[in-house]
Amino acid sequence: MIETALRPQTSAVQQWRTLTVRMITPTLRNGEVSTVVFASILFTVGFYLPLKGLMGGFPGGMSSYAQYLMPLIALNGIAFAALSAAFRSATDSVKGINRRFKAMPIAALTPLAARTSASMYRCAVALGAALVCGHVIGFRFYGGVGHAVGFCLLALLMGAVTSLIGDLIGAANKNPEATVPLMLVPQMILGLLSVGLQPVERFPAWIQPFVRNQPVSQFVYALRPLGGDSTPAAGEVTWSVVGPSLAWLAGLTLILIPLHAFVATRRR
Amino acid sequence: MMSIASQDRAFVTLAGFTDVRHKHRRAPRENSPGQLTRHTWVYTKRLLRRWIRDRTTVLESLLMPVALLVTLNIVLGRSISQVTGHSALYGSVPMVAMVAAMSGSMVGGIGLMRERSDGLLSRLWVLPVHRASGLLSRLAADAVRIVATTAVILSAGLILGFRFRQGILESVAWLFVPIAFGVAFTGLVITLALYAANTWVIEGTEIIWGLLMFFSIGFVPLEQHPRWLQPVVEHQPVSYAIETMRGLSLGGPVLAPMIAMLLWSAGIVAVCAIPMAIGYRRASMRG
Repeated sequence: MIETALRPQTSAVQQWRTLTVRMITPTLRNGEVSTVVFASILFTVGFYLPLKGLMGGFPGGMSSYAQYLMPLIALNGIAFAALSAAFRSATDSVKGINRRFKAMPIAALTPLAARTSASMYRCAVALGAALVCGHVIGFRFYGGVGHAVGFCLLALLMGAVTSLIGDLIGAANKNPEATVPLMLVPQMILGLLSVGLQPVERFPAWIQPFVRNQPVSQFVYALRPLGGDSTPAAGEVTWSVVGPSLAWLAGLTLILIPLHAFVATRRR
Repeated sequence: MMSIASQDRAFVTLAGFTDVRHKHRRAPRENSPGQLTRHTWVYTKRLLRRWIRDRTTVLESLLMPVALLVTLNIVLGRSISQVTGHSALYGSVPMVAMVAAMSGSMVGGIGLMRERSDGLLSRLWVLPVHRASGLLSRLAADAVRIVATTAVILSAGLILGFRFRQGILESVAWLFVPIAFGVAFTGLVITLALYAANTWVIEGTEIIWGLLMFFSIGFVPLEQHPRWLQPVVEHQPVSYAIETMRGLSLGGPVLAPMIAMLLWSAGIVAVCAIPMAIGYRRASMRG
C-alpha cells in the first residue's frame, strides 16, 4: 500500500474569488484603473466636441446630439476597458502563470471566469465614467429606473463578451503585449461605422447594409430607446429592438467559450 | 523560444565588432563618432529585423491605419468635403499617418521594456559599443518604420483619390514630414518605458494620441471645433504636421506650420533627452 497525499479539498467559488481579487487589487494600488476613466472621457470629448457642429443638424430627430451619441460613448468606453483587461491576461500568459494554473487542481475555465469578472469591474468603472461624462454634455435618462438599469446591464453584457474576445486574442497570441494595444483602432473603426455617430441614411448606399447590421449598431439601436429622449424619436423598447443584440451576445458566447476551453487546455 | 533565437542572432552580428577591432592595428575608440554611426547602424538593423519578423504586429500596424483611413473617408468624407469644398483626404491621410506613427511607437516601447526585463539591455551594455548607439538606434529604427507606414497609407490614399498638386520635391518632402514629430513622440514613449514598472503606462499613451487625433484639423476642419477649443486645435503638433502636409500636397502655407511642428518636436526631445539617457543607463545597469 503506497501512501499518497490526499487531493486537496478545493472550492471553485473560493478559487474564483481569490483569482479575481488578485486581478483587481493591483489596479487599485498603482492607479491603473485611471486609464479606463480617461478613455471614457476621451471618447466623450473626442466624439462630441468635434462632431457636434458637423452632425448637430441631423441627430435623427432627437432632442440633442448628446442624447444621440450616448450609447456609442458608453459602448466605446466599456470596450476599451474590456480590451485593456485582455492586455492583462496576455501578460499572464506570457509570464507563464496560466501554465502553472494548469498544473494545479483548478478547473480549466476558472481562471477565465476570474479574468472576466475582473474585467467586469473595469467595465463598471468605465460605464460610471461614461455616464458622468454623458451627464456633463447633457445626456439624461428619460425612461425611468427600469430602463436605466436595462441600459447599464446591456452595456455591461456587451463588455463581458468583448472581454472574452480580447482575452482570447491575448491568450492565443504569440506576442500579445505588442498586438493587443493596437486593438483600439479596430474598436474605433466599428464605432465610426455604426449608427452611433449618424443615422444610417447618411452613409454611402453601398455600405448601409453593413452599417445597419453590424453588432455595434445593433447595440446602439437597443440602448437608444433604453436611454430614451424628451421626443419620441428614440423609439420604443420592444423585443424586435433589443432582441438582435441579445442574440449577438448569446451567439458570440456560444462560439467563444469552447474556443477558450480549447486554448486553456491545449499543451505547448 | 522565438525571442531567444532572435537574441542569439543579434549576438552573432555583434560578434562582428571584435573582428573589426582586430583588423585595425589601433582599434578606433569606442566613443568616436565613426564608431557611433557604425554601431547605431548595426543596432538599427537588429531592431528592424525583429520588427519585420513579428508578422502579426507588422500586419496590424500597417493594415489598421489603412482601415481607419477608409472608415474615416466613408463616415466623414462627404460631410467635410461639403463644408470645405475640397476632398477630406488632404486632412485625413496625414492624420492617419501621424496616428500610425504614434501608435506604432508603443510597440517599440513595450519591446524595450521586455528587453530590459529579459536582461538583454544589460548584456548589450557590457559590449565595447558606443553608449549612445542603443538609444539612437531605437529612434532611427522608428524613423524608418514611420516612413514605411506613411508610404503604405499614402498608397491607400492615392487609391481613394488623394493627389499631389505640387511639384515632385514637395511630394517627396510630404513623405518625410511625419518623421519629425513621430520620432519625438517615440522619444517620449521610450522615456516613459524606461521609468515605468508596468506596461500599462505605455498603454496610457493611447489616450495622448487619441486626444491629438480627435482634436486635430484632420479629423474635422478647424471651424467645426467649438470656438473656445479652436486655439488648442490650431496650435497642437499634429495639426501643424497636417497643415504642413496639406500645404505640400494640395497647396497652402508650408514654412510656418513646419517651423511650429519642428519647435514642438525639438521641445519634446529637449525635455526627454536627459531623463532618457539616465533612464537607459539605469535600465542597462540593473540586475
